Amino acid sequence: MSESAVKKTESPETAVLALHEKFLGGDQAKASLRPVNQAGIERFELLKFPHKKHEMYTFVNTHQLAGTAFELAADSPVDTAWVQSKIYPACKNSVLVFVNGAFQENLSDLSGLGDSFKIRCLAEAVAEDEIKQTLLDSLEDENDVFAAINSAFVHHGVWIDIPAKATFGSPLQLLYVSTGSASAPVTSHPRLIMRLGEMAELKMIVAYAGTRENYFINAVNDFIVKDGAGVTFTQVQKDDAESWHCSKTRVQLHRDARFFGRNASSGNRLTRHHYEVRLKEDGAELHLSGASVLVNQEQVHNFIRIHHEAPHCSSNQLFKNVINDKGRSSFDGTVIVDKGAQLTNSDQLINNLMLSDEAHADNKPNLMIFADDVKCTHGTTVGQIDEDQLFYLKTRGLSQELAKSLLTTSFVDSLIQTIPFPDVVADLDEILLKKLEAKHA
Amino acid sequence: MSLLEIKDLHAGFEGTDIVKGVSLTVNAGEVHAIMGPNGSGKSTLAKVLAGHPSYVVSKGSITYNGNDLLEMDAEERALAGVFLGFQYPVEIPGVNNAEFLRMAYNAKLVKQGEEEVDPLDFDGILDEKMKLVGMDRKYKDRFLNEGFSGGEKKKNEILQMAVLGPKLSVLDETDSGLDIDALKVVAQGVNKLNNKDNALILITHYQRLLNYIEPDFVHVFSGGTIIKSGGKELAHELEAQGYDWVTAPAK
Repeated sequence: MSESAVKKTESPETAVLALHEKFLGGDQAKASLRPVNQAGIERFELLKFPHKKHEMYTFVNTHQLAGTAFELAADSPVDTAWVQSKIYPACKNSVLVFVNGAFQENLSDLSGLGDSFKIRCLAEAVAEDEIKQTLLDSLEDENDVFAAINSAFVHHGVWIDIPAKATFGSPLQLLYVSTGSASAPVTSHPRLIMRLGEMAELKMIVAYAGTRENYFINAVNDFIVKDGAGVTFTQVQKDDAESWHCSKTRVQLHRDARFFGRNASSGNRLTRHHYEVRLKEDGAELHLSGASVLVNQEQVHNFIRIHHEAPHCSSNQLFKNVINDKGRSSFDGTVIVDKGAQLTNSDQLINNLMLSDEAHADNKPNLMIFADDVKCTHGTTVGQIDEDQLFYLKTRGLSQELAKSLLTTSFVDSLIQTIPFPDVVADLDEILLKKLEAKHA
Repeated sequence: MSLLEIKDLHAGFEGTDIVKGVSLTVNAGEVHAIMGPNGSGKSTLAKVLAGHPSYVVSKGSITYNGNDLLEMDAEERALAGVFLGFQYPVEIPGVNNAEFLRMAYNAKLVKQGEEEVDPLDFDGILDEKMKLVGMDRKYKDRFLNEGFSGGEKKKNEILQMAVLGPKLSVLDETDSGLDIDALKVVAQGVNKLNNKDNALILITHYQRLLNYIEPDFVHVFSGGTIIKSGGKELAHELEAQGYDWVTAPAK
């Protein structure tokens, strides 16, 4: 009791440092990852938690998150049947399950992916100098404090190396389960590094779910996509409503590489997706999209930086939020087109549908163009249900209530339907669209 | 009893009357054409008939099937058999065309106290109606009007009309923007739907449509009111001589 009273007077940073000490001294920390943990905490000390006017957190209030005294999540047992219910049928032989960040071999099954799928525990892979250097290099430029915290505490992580020309019959699912805790809020720090060799193709779904409230999941994903390779990366955030969620996804695209990133969020205390993408060589192609349905005081934020570093690349962003009650969303996205990146094609569109007077959306689409022969567009809308659409449906005999609910649902569904996994579409229809129906009933 | 009786209707938008004193009687089995120059108030009349909430009726009455139409909400009018074919059909991304049509069809069935149809049964009904209006089946699974060409949008309006089987259809410039082939297909679809129990009001800027859908009456609209009414030959005179011929001597 007296201990927690003491904690409250400490600065939030001190609490993280104390937890880090505890982590390094405990049995979760891996010796091989120690240099990364060390570099991570040093980076954290330098960056500190964001203050109110921090450029990357203009619209995101992390005060409550930073002020919460977290414990390290223990390797706790989970209800196997519950976990299995979260595995998409199409992925039953291509799934990796993590509980509180720790890989669960008994719940995972990779038999459907074949021999070309190479996965290693990060603590083991880091013995290779190249991999260690990749991790340390990424920390040198790390500008996001939560991603730095991930490195400071990483101990489980996976390294996936897809050989050139490899393709797979079924999508890979990564299922991150958080068990939360009754006693104190807990954190976990999943880490994924993936390298796709030339002309390789991988479709993956990352699903986040919680068995109970009171946790913070802080994930970092790195993708290195070589010439002509393609990745489909779909994040399904369906955490407990009383949780926090940060994810940072860093992508490097080489010549003619493609990345399709999608996120769908059911919202919670705070969800923040951070994308940092570099289109490094000619012909690279990026698609990012996100959909969220927010009720009560739920929040979802997207922060995006796209660097066009080479000519003939294209990037496309489409984000849609339906916000009810006191929900909040923000979009802060900048496309930077370097001087040499001629013939860049870039679109950015954010649509918000506001269902209550207290709903809140901040949008900052931004372009920084240093080349002179490019085609870039950006736009944002914040509005209520379109009266013309409503009238059109009513002239066909649909009631006011049905027409409104159809328009609200279709607003996000137009994006959800583009997800190329029927299991995920059905799941999201269940989670996101049910939320809307519940509100309309 | 007439199907529709409009008496001295004055209506408009944001406090300004655009329709100024229209009277018109339409009986079951009749086809009426309303022709007139741009901005004469034709589309306003159509929107008022369908119950658009932004248009206000300041004077006059509309009786439909013995009931006060102006007392009815847009969806009540639709369920009572009034159909508006939009000049500019609205695009609704995310709403599946076939599902939307089934919802509309079921809303009508429920109103008539009948059982709703399931997607499988409706699919058969829809196939038949799509054939009737010459529409490709691929449009079933598209989002409602999204990315449809002008012609496909108009065909989709007639498809909705075919599915709903209205008593009174008001087609607002359904011919605008259609090439001659699409126009013929749309007109054939409309003709197949016409019978002695329903009525049609065709609003058009051009006489061309009337070569394919023959009207019983032609009304010339100008300055928010009907300035001349006649048989189908009136349309030919308008085509030959332009609207000045009727609007000038009206002074």
